[in-house]
Amino acid sequence: MNWIRRFLESRFWALAVKEVQQILKNKQFIFLLLFPPTIQLLILGFALDPSVTHLSLGVLDYSRTEESRELVSALTENDIFWVKTAPHRKENLVEDVRTGTITTGLVIPPEFRQDIADGKTAKVQVFIDGVNANTAGIASGYMQQIVREYSRNLNVPPPDPLVNTQVRFLYNPGLMSTWFFVPGVMGLVLTLTGSLVSSITLIREKDVGTLEQLLMTPAAAWEILAAKIAPLFVLLMGDVFLAAGIGLVVFHLPFRGNFAWFLLFSGLYVVVAIGLGMLLATLSKTQQQVVLTSFFFNVPIIQLSGAVAPIESMPLFFRVVSFADPLRHYVAIARNLILKGTGIEPILPNAAALAFFAIVLLGVSINRFRAQLS
Amino acid sequence: MFRRILAQCQKELAQFRRDRLTVALAFLLPLGMMLIYGFAIRLEAQNLPISVQDFDRSPLSRTYIARLFATNQFIPVRSGESPTDSLDRGDAIASVVIPPDFSRKIKADKDVDVQVLVDGSDVNNARVVQNSIRATTNFFIQTNQLQPPAERSVDAEVRLWFNPGLREALYIVPGAFAVVLWVFPSMLSAIAVVREKEQGTILQVYSSDLTSFEWLLGKVMAYVVVAAGEATLVMGVAILLFRMEFATNPLPLLVGTFVYLLSSVSFGTFIGVRSSNQNAAVQGTAIAGFLSSFLLSGFIYRIDNIPFPLSLICNIIPARYYILITRDAFVRGTGWIGIWYAPIIILAIGCLLFLVSTKIMSKMQLKE
Repeated sequence: MNWIRRFLESRFWALAVKEVQQILKNKQFIFLLLFPPTIQLLILGFALDPSVTHLSLGVLDYSRTEESRELVSALTENDIFWVKTAPHRKENLVEDVRTGTITTGLVIPPEFRQDIADGKTAKVQVFIDGVNANTAGIASGYMQQIVREYSRNLNVPPPDPLVNTQVRFLYNPGLMSTWFFVPGVMGLVLTLTGSLVSSITLIREKDVGTLEQLLMTPAAAWEILAAKIAPLFVLLMGDVFLAAGIGLVVFHLPFRGNFAWFLLFSGLYVVVAIGLGMLLATLSKTQQQVVLTSFFFNVPIIQLSGAVAPIESMPLFFRVVSFADPLRHYVAIARNLILKGTGIEPILPNAAALAFFAIVLLGVSINRFRAQLS
Repeated sequence: MFRRILAQCQKELAQFRRDRLTVALAFLLPLGMMLIYGFAIRLEAQNLPISVQDFDRSPLSRTYIARLFATNQFIPVRSGESPTDSLDRGDAIASVVIPPDFSRKIKADKDVDVQVLVDGSDVNNARVVQNSIRATTNFFIQTNQLQPPAERSVDAEVRLWFNPGLREALYIVPGAFAVVLWVFPSMLSAIAVVREKEQGTILQVYSSDLTSFEWLLGKVMAYVVVAAGEATLVMGVAILLFRMEFATNPLPLLVGTFVYLLSSVSFGTFIGVRSSNQNAAVQGTAIAGFLSSFLLSGFIYRIDNIPFPLSLICNIIPARYYILITRDAFVRGTGWIGIWYAPIIILAIGCLLFLVSTKIMSKMQLKE
């Protein structure tokens, strides 16, 4: 029991207790630890949905027959399209696409039924708003696929295809987009909160000048910094639990992997975020500068991590750069442990990268701090 | 009165110029963000890594594999021992398994199953993979005359408007204008307001006969000037770099940008008068401004997909309307017809934010 007493009487412990008291007294700090992460997780989790459904469709049906109505209902059946306008003149339909009222316009010609009955190829016209390149591409694909399907069903016995593609979705069989985004957003939240909170605690002491006072105390520089980091680490681990809790309760994430590993690597990433915040604090002189520079760093870190936009689609240069992004590795780990649950081996390279970033960031920032203090 | 506002505005600009670092950040940050968005964000699925296990190893199965990779949408990666290996490791997004009796069964006119395992964690990519593997298989069947082509009696003649080449920069870059020009001007004006509170210079304002309206309007004018500089820089660079061209007369864009900057700066003053220190102000603008203009504006993800209570918020986000204006100016080109209402809504939101700010400030002012 002796070592416990020694630990409790150490300077590190006294400094750490002081630090915790200071943090708990600061309401803004508590707010910062709880409010932004919750809001970010909820808004990002619910709002990010790349699926292409409910495309607004304008239908101009000159044919007005059973066949043309069947075609329209085939389009709207799976919630991919929904009929928003049904103008009577072509100019109105064109105008609707032009002004962006509808994304797709369909014109069914008067001879539609007759052509099908005669065995001729009936042509329908489709206009698609191409402003959103991605949506337009997908909409055009769906449109052709559904029309082809409809057309095939007109030939009474549809021939069986000789080669079947049996597709099975692993890890996320229901294709829930929140399952993909929420683990990424967890990493994003830890980055933003962790770097901000740690840079602010350090810069404030520098700003107000109390860091010099701390230096007058008999504690060593590393003790001062360790006493600053340890409470932050504990509090940010609280954010990890908060994020995991929201993921489980609100978004029903499966957490297929080992939860202990998840905590361990999240802890490692928290250290990376704290190191990043400390580095920012050594780069700036005032609070205003530190928040601006953190913005400067955080935007590329988030954009290149694959948390919001897929890495595979980036140009080669950015795909390579993204390897130097610690968040990329954490997001990969979180997605693996939450969705795949494959065990530790596939994520070892990412874990090693995180450890590397943690050591480098902490090492560099502690050194710079020591240089600035003495 | 107008002279006093102008004097306030000039004082503010002089102060801004003196702070070299802030001036540098005010122009470098938007530019950097613009470049990242313009270059790095691509939503279209490309270069998707796929592993193939070919147990048949016949000329026919090799033709099939060649078909898969002929579209440049997929790139081959090595598969592991079992089909799920490459997926578990995250090396591949899908794994195609061709059974040993592939060519034998096809030649005997029997059905054959090609198994495709898809990593469903990225939903969008998963759907794209499923569709294009199916399409490739159909194409393979047709080109190898394995089946008489189904008689197609209905044909859709699809025409893409405005962006026939489907260039994604045309979609991303005008949207990025809205995010960049919302986040940074508001951040600068929020700092300008809160700094006076923090440094106590606001007491001088209280004791002068300057009204809160005049004080804030002077600040707003000054930062609209700065923001106009940012807008010119960002748009100029983007037009040169991403080969953007005006699709219509630029007047709606000019008017729209002016009211948008007004609204953005007013949002900043609103956050500024509400917060007690610079940190809170910058975080407020960064988090609230960034989230709203990035996520709820239709910049990347379609507004139609946002669920009900959140979707209501979208309607009061100026970025949402400004994106309509920029996309119209650079891509759609309908001029005033399609977007006449957008500047009006933006202006209304901006005025509201400004008036609320003056209300809050006047409450704090000393009564005579």
